This record gives sequence, C-alpha cells and structure tokens, in this order.
Amino acid sequence: MITTTELEHLATLSRIKLTEEDKQSFQKEFDSILGYVDQLKKVDVSMDAEGRVGAVKNVMRPDEAVTTSAEDRERLLNAAPQREGDFVAVKKIIAQD
Amino acid sequence: MTIDLKNLTIAKAAEGLKKGSFTSVQLTQAYLDEIAKRDGDIHAYLEVFADTLQSAEAADIRIKNGTAGPLTGIPMAIKDNILIQDKIASSASKMLEKYKATYDATVIAKLKKEGVVFIGRTNMDEFAMGGSTENSAFGVTHNPHETSRVAGGTSGGSAAAVASNMTLAALGSDTGGSIRQPASFCGVVGLKPTYGAVSRYGLIAAVSSFDQIGPVTRTVADAEIIFNAIKGRDTKDGTTIESGDGKTAVTYLPSRMGKKKPIVGIPRSFLSMGGIDPDVKKSFEESEKRFKDMGYEIRDIELPSNQYALPVYYILNFAEVSSNMARFDAVKYGLHVNGKDSIDDYFESRRAGLGKEVIRRILLGTYVLSSGYYDAYYNRANAVRSMITDDFLKAFESVDIIATPTTPSTAFKIGEKASDPVAMYLEDIFTVTANLTGLPALSIPCGTAIKEGKSLPIGLQLTARHGDEKTLFEAGKDFLGE
Repeated sequence: MITTTELEHLATLSRIKLTEEDKQSFQKEFDSILGYVDQLKKVDVSMDAEGRVGAVKNVMRPDEAVTTSAEDRERLLNAAPQREGDFVAVKKIIAQD
Repeated sequence: MTIDLKNLTIAKAAEGLKKGSFTSVQLTQAYLDEIAKRDGDIHAYLEVFADTLQSAEAADIRIKNGTAGPLTGIPMAIKDNILIQDKIASSASKMLEKYKATYDATVIAKLKKEGVVFIGRTNMDEFAMGGSTENSAFGVTHNPHETSRVAGGTSGGSAAAVASNMTLAALGSDTGGSIRQPASFCGVVGLKPTYGAVSRYGLIAAVSSFDQIGPVTRTVADAEIIFNAIKGRDTKDGTTIESGDGKTAVTYLPSRMGKKKPIVGIPRSFLSMGGIDPDVKKSFEESEKRFKDMGYEIRDIELPSNQYALPVYYILNFAEVSSNMARFDAVKYGLHVNGKDSIDDYFESRRAGLGKEVIRRILLGTYVLSSGYYDAYYNRANAVRSMITDDFLKAFESVDIIATPTTPSTAFKIGEKASDPVAMYLEDIFTVTANLTGLPALSIPCGTAIKEGKSLPIGLQLTARHGDEKTLFEAGKDFLGE
C-alpha cells in the first residue's frame, strides 16, 4: 500500500497541490491500479528493455536556429499568461540581501 | 434544397459539388442546421467555428475554377487536441480553455491546402486520457444511438458528430483505442494508422510513443481518402515514415501466399479469455463467417504475450503522461493561478487546470519512473512490449490481417465506470495492442445488439502489417460491400 508520505512526495515532484480528499481517494485507487499492473512481475522477461516502436528509427537533424516571422513571435508571446513588452513575465526568484 | 446527409459520402459530396447539385456553402449549412437541432442533446462540439461558411465560400470559388481536389468544400470536424492556427485548442482541459493555437498542425495545413471546411472542434477526454469522453472538463458527449450511454473516448465528440450527421467526417487521435473504440460505440468507421504514417506536429501530445492522428468517417472509402490526404513524412515529426501504399510496408512479407484475398488470422485463445459480451461474441462469429463466405481464408493464430498488453500499456501510458504533462508550467501558455511565490504558481495552476484522471496518471507515472521502481515497472513494460510486438510480427508471417472485436462490450451507461479506473482501463483490451506494436488498425461497424430495447452498434477491428493500410481498406470495403 502506498503511504500518505509517498503520495505527498509524488505530488511535490509533480508540482501539484493535493487536498486531503484527493489523497484519500488516490491512495485507494492506486492500490487497485498498481495491484492490477503488478501481474507483469510474473512474466519471464528475456528481451532487453530497449522498447521498439513499430518501424521507427532514430532521426537526427542539424542543431540550427530557425528564424520565425514577427507575426509568429507575437502569437507565441501572446500565449503567455503574463507578458511584459517582448518578455514573458515571471515572479522574482532571487531575493535581495 | 435538401441534401440527403444520411447517405452522403465524401466521394458523393465531391461529385455533387463538382456537378453543381449543391454548393459547399449549402452543404456546410445543412450540417450546421443538424448541429443546431441535435447537438444540444449530444454535445459533440466544444465550439462551432464562426468562419465556417467563409471557408465554404472560398472552397466554392475553387470548385468553380476547376482547381478542386477530392476534399475541397468537404466539411470536417477536428478533435480539440489538434491545432488550427488562431483557434482555441483546449484538449478539453481547463488548463488550455483559452489557449489559441499559435500554428497549424501538419494535418491541418494539409487539409487547408485541400480546401477542407472546418466546422468546429469536438469534445474529448481531457488530454486524451479516458475511454468515454466523461473526463472532458466541459461536459460529457452522449451516444447518438442512446443518449444515456457514452459515445466512447477519447475521440467521443468526433465519432458522435459523424454518427449523427453533424459533420461528414472528422479527425481524431488514437493513443490506446481513442479513434476505434468511439467509432465502434457510435457505429462509424475509425482508423488508427501505422505509427509514423501521419505527422503529429501540432497534436497536443498525450503518450508520444503511442499517439497517432486518424480519420473518423461513415465509410471505409472516406477513411482512405482522408488518410491519403494527411499521411506522409514530415520533417517536423521525426517519427514519420512513408506508409500506406502497401509497397513500402516495413514488415511486408510474401503476402497472401498466392491467394487473391488476404488471409485473416484470429487469436482464438486470446478471445476465449472471457469478459466479452455474448452479443459482441456472436457478432464477431458472424463476421468471421462473412469473411469465409467472401472467400477469405481464416487461420487461427496465437498471441501468447497479449494477456499482458493492458498492464504494459498503462505503465507506459502513465510514465509518458507524467513526462509530457510537465510542460504545463503556467508561464509559457495556459492557465495561470497566482501562488505565494514562483514555485507555488506551479502547484496552484496545475491543481486548478488539470482534471482528476490527468493528475492520477501524472502521479502514477512519477511513481513507476522513480528510482526504486523503474526496473520493475518501466523497463519491464518496455521489454514485454517488445515480446507482444514479436508475437504479432510472427503471426503476420502466415496471415495478412488479424481480426478481433474492437471492444469487449457495447457502449456503457454514462457514470457506470466513472468511479472505477481499472474497470474503465479494461475496455481497451483489444485496442491497445495496435499502439504498443505501432501496427495500423481499422474499426468498422459489423452488427448491433439490443440493450434495454435500444439498438447499439458493435465494431470489428482489423489489424495489418506496418504500413499496410491498403489491405485494411480493401478488406474493410469488401466486408461492408462498398
């Protein structure tokens, strides 16, 4: 069974605030979900763990900057919840001594 | 004028437009009228675009000029997780409720070039997590055959819109059955193409190693037309491959053993595991007979690792979801809720913007990827995924198509499985394998079951080799007598 401490740790790592009610229902549900997926533990795994997805191969591209139009730049900046001029605004993260 | 929407196909509509029997504006208006009449009960659409008739006018000019293609002037609905520039794409989440797409998805750019008329954006489970469209932050979509039942999910809005003549065709996305299961529940056709066949550039990612965009249509021929319009390699999505012409099928093997019709394989022991509704079973047996009567050879095949498909699928789903959802930081785009400091902004915004199933999967994904459990869950799941893929590739050495029901049951009641995540996950038993293996799979209507006095559709799922959509279309058209 997953403990409240473990659950709180997962929530902290995921940057999600949980209410007491969330914690209670998740604890119960996680037991049944993890109990269900635990049947994998009985598989005799002889394959390597490198997952293969169909016929896909690794594709490389040159690491080059792409120029965008001023119009696209406007669109991207406008998508930010807080914008100041041509910058995306965030709260101050360094305190002054 | 009245247009017979009930019997319309893309080919018939294109012919009608070309001959001048009706214009794209009239055709589009006919669908808008149906939406006004029916969508109050069904809720397939999150938004009907205000400029739809203007796009239809532009298409009519192309038709007059003689520069029209097979999709010019054809109305289509688009799932809410596919970006259309300057239109909202919310993925049915509060997180993106007001997010206006900053660019066109590759599939949208292709369809715009064809002159497709976009009617609106369709409802879905939030961020494509669910199986019933009950996880939408903006209300459930009802099944057009019986409104107390779900339309399926996650592309429930797209399937319900096509099934109720509120659009001629739609795009959906499929992560573990999200096109095929709602198509099955609503009695329409749905294709999950080969992984890499269609570019995902501009698709809001759920599980990147599973996601594919595909068509939801009334006929197999319609699905083929749309697939051919959206497929192809794209430099903006490194996973794309050339696909769909049968010749470049990557696992293509000496097919059909000299026979005229494809050989159909049936995983008999997998289907006898239980949990399948008797009506679905009966309909599947009738479908098998129908293939036989049409001259298809049926062979039994074994897929021994398939019994682990669901746990593998969900472990990988949780893991990739937790990683993909990390991008919602309330800084670049999306909902922002003010916290007491910068890091608290994350906690508040993500709690306010994300629904319960999304949070559940993020936490579970974080768990299965954590250092103490990584080998037991994520690595093991990837290894078993390879075993499942090998089973399928081995089966395709002796058959061309693998047939199963699309879902173990018909559309369930709204609320029936909402409180039990595991019961909801079990719905995906037949569909997840196509996403685990990257194989293309098509769901076609194959019968109906009477449940509480109402006739509900049943779907048949056909899976083919990587890149061999062509065989799926051929067998699907044959089966439906198209």
